Amino acid sequence: MTKENGPMAEGPASNGYLKVGNGKYALDLRKVNVHYGSTHAIKDVSMRIRENAATAFIGPSGCGKSTLLRCLNRMNDEIVGCKTTGTIMFKGTNILSNKVDPVALRHTVGMVFQKPNPFPTSIYKNITFGPKVHGIRGKDELDEIVERTLKDSALWEEVKDRLDDPAMSLSGGQQQRLCIARALAVEPDIILMDEPCSALDPIATSKIEDLITELKERYTVVIVTHNMQQAARVSDFTGFMFLGRLVEFGRTTPLFEKPRKTLTEKYITGRFG
Amino acid sequence: MTEKFIEELDRLQADTFEMGQLAVGMLADSVKALKTQDIDLAQSVLEKKTDLAEMDLEIEKRALQLLTLYQPMATDMRKLATILKTITYLARIGRYGKDIANITIELGDQSHISKLVSIPLMSKMVGSMIEDSLEAFEEGDITKLADLGERDDEVDAMRYTILRECITYMMEDPKNISRCANYIMIARYLERCADHSCKIAEKVTYMVTGEHVEIR
Ligand SMILES: Nc1ncnc2c1ncn2[C@@H]1O[C@H](COP(=O)(O)OP(=O)(O)O)[C@@H](O)[C@H]1O
Ligand SMILES: [Mg+2]
Repeated sequence: MTKENGPMAEGPASNGYLKVGNGKYALDLRKVNVHYGSTHAIKDVSMRIRENAATAFIGPSGCGKSTLLRCLNRMNDEIVGCKTTGTIMFKGTNILSNKVDPVALRHTVGMVFQKPNPFPTSIYKNITFGPKVHGIRGKDELDEIVERTLKDSALWEEVKDRLDDPAMSLSGGQQQRLCIARALAVEPDIILMDEPCSALDPIATSKIEDLITELKERYTVVIVTHNMQQAARVSDFTGFMFLGRLVEFGRTTPLFEKPRKTLTEKYITGRFG
Repeated sequence: MTEKFIEELDRLQADTFEMGQLAVGMLADSVKALKTQDIDLAQSVLEKKTDLAEMDLEIEKRALQLLTLYQPMATDMRKLATILKTITYLARIGRYGKDIANITIELGDQSHISKLVSIPLMSKMVGSMIEDSLEAFEEGDITKLADLGERDDEVDAMRYTILRECITYMMEDPKNISRCANYIMIARYLERCADHSCKIAEKVTYMVTGEHVEIR
């Protein structure tokens, strides 16, 4: 067995760390590079992301966390002048290939953004929008999807009696959970979250964190956060990025307890620059 | 992390080291008082007990405060974890010093059975083990700790030597029994102190390397 020491290595699974996920990989990134015009935003990132586990990206602002996350569902395609190279294998297909339909991909790889962005319509319709696009019309089936996803996003008890209320009438934290429910409604495999709690208060934040812990049982979760403690709490694997590079990637607990790279150590102990 | 945190953590490390000096001093003085039957010195060891308990509590409070205020990671977290464990071991070491001082006072000025060579020798071995663990903690350098396990074995062997010696005295004359029982107890205390120095060394190793090791 060869031992990898680069950022690809996951680090030891030793001393009592529970086995994480199902041991399979959802995504396999090889030499991913992203340019915005002349800005080289992602540099040679290679990593494998575990299925049914939570993976977090941390690093200083501007290091490329969001850009890397957006590679995973081709969201960068929408940015003029953005060019991505390398391969990202997902279910045997290179999703960066131009044969892949990015819109279809985004249903399988859903995304939740920093600021909750519900549609300006009812709670119910926010969730049924995606399934309807997929041709689901039956009321019973749509009702079932609404109930299931709201339960999965831990929002059901709070909104079950007012599903026709405008989504905008919900609190920020509730809106964010609605956005998660909306992402779940199209039955994705992977859920990407870009700083999903940065606009939320501590109570709403802890609800989302609990939710992530539950979601990863059934989905692959990839989360960008500027909050290291949050990464430590919710993720099984953590990647530390700096200036577009993946400096260190491994199991979360050892990474925060004893990072392998001095740069990581400096960043997580706040002795940076 | 702010400058303030780093400063406060450094101060906490220095204070833990100082608490260690106090504990080691109590242990050494108690054995010195025993050897020279110096009741005043034994009394001074008892008086230090309050200082030790106060330092223990104060360092613990400050460490917990740093943990909650800053939620430190990596080396900082390991250092705080080490401090929290180490102060408990140090408090116990100091308390064994107090126990030995109490025995010294109880024994009063009755002369020792033998020349009492073994106990001071054992105390010296134990003291140097604690000091090396503390220095490793202060300097973040664990090279001194490499042979600590072997030194602990020597201390254990020493304890059995003292035990056998005392059994001989007790068989020779039943009047020696209560006095020898105290010697045996002291040897046991010293042996526990050596164990604590190994425990401290394990934590210091964790602080420096991130590895959990078992020394003895
Ligand atoms: N839409 C964009 N156009 C041009 N440059 C961008 C764009 N988005 C991000 N960048 C640049 O790419 C780098 C990485 O940004 P980003 O991925 O947003 O970092 P992070 O999420 O870690 O803060 C930065 O230098 C940033 O300025
Ligand atoms: Mg970002």
